[in-house]
Amino acid sequence: MDMDQDLPATIRSIARLEGHEDRAWHVAWNPTKPILASCSADKTVRLYSYSSSFDSDASEAPSVKFSHITNIPTGHAKTVRAIAWSPSGKTLATASFDSNIGVWAQEGGEDEEDGAFNPAREWECMSLLEGHETECKSVAYSSSGNLLASCSRDKTVWIWEVHPDHDFECMGVLMEHTQDVKAVAWHPTEEILASASYDDTIKLYIDDPQEDWYCFQTLSGHGSTVWALAFSPDGRFLASASDDTTIRIWERVQEHKWECIDTLSGHERSVYSISWGFGKPLDSGDPGSLGWLASTGGDGIINVWELGVGPSAKDPSRKTLTQKIIAKITNAHEVHDVNSIVWCPRKGFEDLFATAGDEGVVKVWKVASS
Amino acid sequence: MAFSGALTLTDLNDFITPSQACIKPVEQTNKPEPQDAGAAATQIQVDSSGSYYEVSTNAPTAGQTAGKQKLTTAEISLNDCLACSGCITSAESVLITMQSHAEVLNVLENNPPHSSPDHKVPVISIAPQCLASLAASISSSSSQNVSLLQVLRRVSAFCKEVLGFAHVFDTTFARHITLLEHAKEFTERKNGEGKLPMLASACPGWVCYAEKTHAEMLPFISRTKSPQQVMGTLVKEWSGAKWGKTPDQIYHVTVMPCYDKKLEASRQDFYNEAYATRDVDCVITTGELQLLMQEKGWDLSIPVSDENVPRLTSFSRGAMFGTVDDQRSDPGMLSADLAFPELLMHPGTSSGSYLHSIISTLTSSSSNPDVFEVTTKTVRTADYEEYTVTNRETGQVVFRGAKCYGFRNLQNVVRKVGRDSGVQVGRGAAGRLAGLRARGRAVRKDAAGSAAQEDRGYDYVEVMACPSGCVNGGGQLRAVQPAKDADEEGFSRNWSEAGVKFDADETLPAAPVGPKWGDREWTKKVEAAYWRTLPTPPPTPPVDGSPASISSAFEAADQLAGRILAELTKPVEPTGGPVGWSTKLDGDAEARRQRLFRTQYRAVESEVVGLAVKW
Repeated sequence: MDMDQDLPATIRSIARLEGHEDRAWHVAWNPTKPILASCSADKTVRLYSYSSSFDSDASEAPSVKFSHITNIPTGHAKTVRAIAWSPSGKTLATASFDSNIGVWAQEGGEDEEDGAFNPAREWECMSLLEGHETECKSVAYSSSGNLLASCSRDKTVWIWEVHPDHDFECMGVLMEHTQDVKAVAWHPTEEILASASYDDTIKLYIDDPQEDWYCFQTLSGHGSTVWALAFSPDGRFLASASDDTTIRIWERVQEHKWECIDTLSGHERSVYSISWGFGKPLDSGDPGSLGWLASTGGDGIINVWELGVGPSAKDPSRKTLTQKIIAKITNAHEVHDVNSIVWCPRKGFEDLFATAGDEGVVKVWKVASS
Repeated sequence: MAFSGALTLTDLNDFITPSQACIKPVEQTNKPEPQDAGAAATQIQVDSSGSYYEVSTNAPTAGQTAGKQKLTTAEISLNDCLACSGCITSAESVLITMQSHAEVLNVLENNPPHSSPDHKVPVISIAPQCLASLAASISSSSSQNVSLLQVLRRVSAFCKEVLGFAHVFDTTFARHITLLEHAKEFTERKNGEGKLPMLASACPGWVCYAEKTHAEMLPFISRTKSPQQVMGTLVKEWSGAKWGKTPDQIYHVTVMPCYDKKLEASRQDFYNEAYATRDVDCVITTGELQLLMQEKGWDLSIPVSDENVPRLTSFSRGAMFGTVDDQRSDPGMLSADLAFPELLMHPGTSSGSYLHSIISTLTSSSSNPDVFEVTTKTVRTADYEEYTVTNRETGQVVFRGAKCYGFRNLQNVVRKVGRDSGVQVGRGAAGRLAGLRARGRAVRKDAAGSAAQEDRGYDYVEVMACPSGCVNGGGQLRAVQPAKDADEEGFSRNWSEAGVKFDADETLPAAPVGPKWGDREWTKKVEAAYWRTLPTPPPTPPVDGSPASISSAFEAADQLAGRILAELTKPVEPTGGPVGWSTKLDGDAEARRQRLFRTQYRAVESEVVGLAVKW
């Protein structure tokens, strides 16, 4: 891997996690516990724990150690394409090419005190969400954990309500896209769902309390497939990654109206995955900071942008989005495509992200000022 | 080959669009000749008539007979759709040539004269939801509130005077028979002959979906024929005999609110091998009927004579149908306009009142019907309502049912029924997961203790694939323009009601898109029109002066149904009085009843192996 030395920050590899027997598709950080999950075409989910420790040979910062906990064989008949933790961190959802969504938890886990939590115990499939006709591509829990969304090559997006006892009720089947739906993402605080598709568009949905979920806006602009979506942590912005090699930033200009305000370039091929976290902004104390956006894709490049709101260059009296790449590496997974990139959401670890590559390896990286 | 005029992609309104896995296009009828490696490449040419030719790009060599070969056009019949698991339901998007209004005109125009032995008696049967759709359309474009009877009379006049149909019926009497048989089947299942809950079978979209993706639901689906197919039996088997016609000498068209009814009529189960004919030869939608009227310049807003006179009264006196012997002795009766009871508006839902008829059969068969209390509970929206029948004296729940409309609610019913009855849901793609899940659940159930009375499973579910049911079927007329504006206003109102606040300088959300299934306000109008059965102005007193009450109409329908059952099944043993629908028949007669009024379902196994997609 090659670092770009002229940038204000560096991306350091801190763990290389092998074990998947086929391409690794996706990674998901448990939001409440030090666990990282990865999924693969080998139909398994691997769980890793991590902890901070101070090395004896005394570098200035604590290092983070990862160790493998367990495998969930899943029983999915095909590739596990995506995974998502519920906000409680006790339930994991798997989206598979076998057209099903699996919901995994540990027996009795709902009632247990956190102290009794042992991720190595057996993870069981508590519920199977069927309905998609073909390959499921993505799955996501809403911020409250009350809703689960999934999408598929069958062009549909499904919304499920999470009930007690791992029961689910179908709340909506949205048939808005004209092609394969690649990704779904929930707004960080509100029940707004976004979906991205091979039809080059992004659709935004809300619930009509009298009726069903419906699409309130279609975002067009990308010149090719939209692969991934990420809301800003404050929920005012949405980022989308595309096969057209760009990332677009959409701003919520009204309650239910989003507009493209910027296009980020920095990739040579398809951008497969983006993640928008708080990060540890270099320009700390900047009230306009929007956090860090990480992106990766078919070119094996990882870019980390620092985004913020600041005075416009043309008209300093107006505010505008400020964006700069603060760190970059190439050949992140050697010659392989990088399929997913995800920031760690846990406090204190905002500078960590994980990636999954076509060679089956999961890597964890740390961003630090150079 | 062309789509029927009403059938364009923008009209697609059923619940799922075709998937990419249609097996038909990959089937090759004209297999290419085996070719040597490096043989001439070919290309496709289209000539001026639209025919396709495969043309060799090289000059033909000595061995080759033709450098230009005409290609057969791929044809997809409805039977192909039924046999393929590629789509969930896609009747509306395949090329339907045998089931279009153009086909109806074609058959009628080429029908030989009465004197010819090849003459077919053209009969058309119209579903009440279609009449409601037309009524709502007339009402909004001409401000007159027309009743279903008026619409039926006007459509009837059009079909007879302009198109040349010999008989025009509505399908409510057939529905009456369906409801009788349906209730009988429910009682059988309740007595252990079959599985509960029983799920309605009148919606072909649901049946098709279950056959293709939820085979485990098939034992729960009622085997009673839908009103359309009972109508087919009535017209071809019973009326045909009255008219001295064999089933193939009748051309039977139905008008339905739903494209998937075309699929239903095409099912092999409704094909008469002996006469090589179907119980329903052609199904057109409300939209296609309207198109026919437009093409022929018929204005449905113009009243016709006697459009407020119910025919019911004369029927209830038994005048319309004599016995078979009467008719044989009186040839004049053959040409008389035989009629079934008209517009029997079964109380309950506008999708056929299946649930309500089960409940009323259940309570009325008790020695003390007043002891029962029916409570309803709406689950989120009006498309999902639970009905509980409780015995007031004992407090015991004697029945739990639900009406469940729309694809979303259908998913939840499938999940609930699968869970309550312990059958494995789905295509078994993840058998191992299902096994794990069952284990986990069993443990939790034990911990939770015995299930409360409210948690008892359903006995019956009225399942319909379309939100709002059949009044909002995919084949219904779309909202007329003024109603659309009202809907957008309706939406704005909902926004503020929902507590969504807008800054003063903000405009409302840019044209929020209505629910996929079209216009809610419009559907309400169709629903209202459906129940607007009483003619306006008030009904003309019947000719004989005796008021025809609703109950007498249903009683008369019961009587005729019993008579039809007796005539069609020919029980040999004396039944000790007139045959009613619940009369126990002898073995052979019972077998004939099964053949005439029941059907069957079969799982469509997926032969389509998903592409090895890696993206």
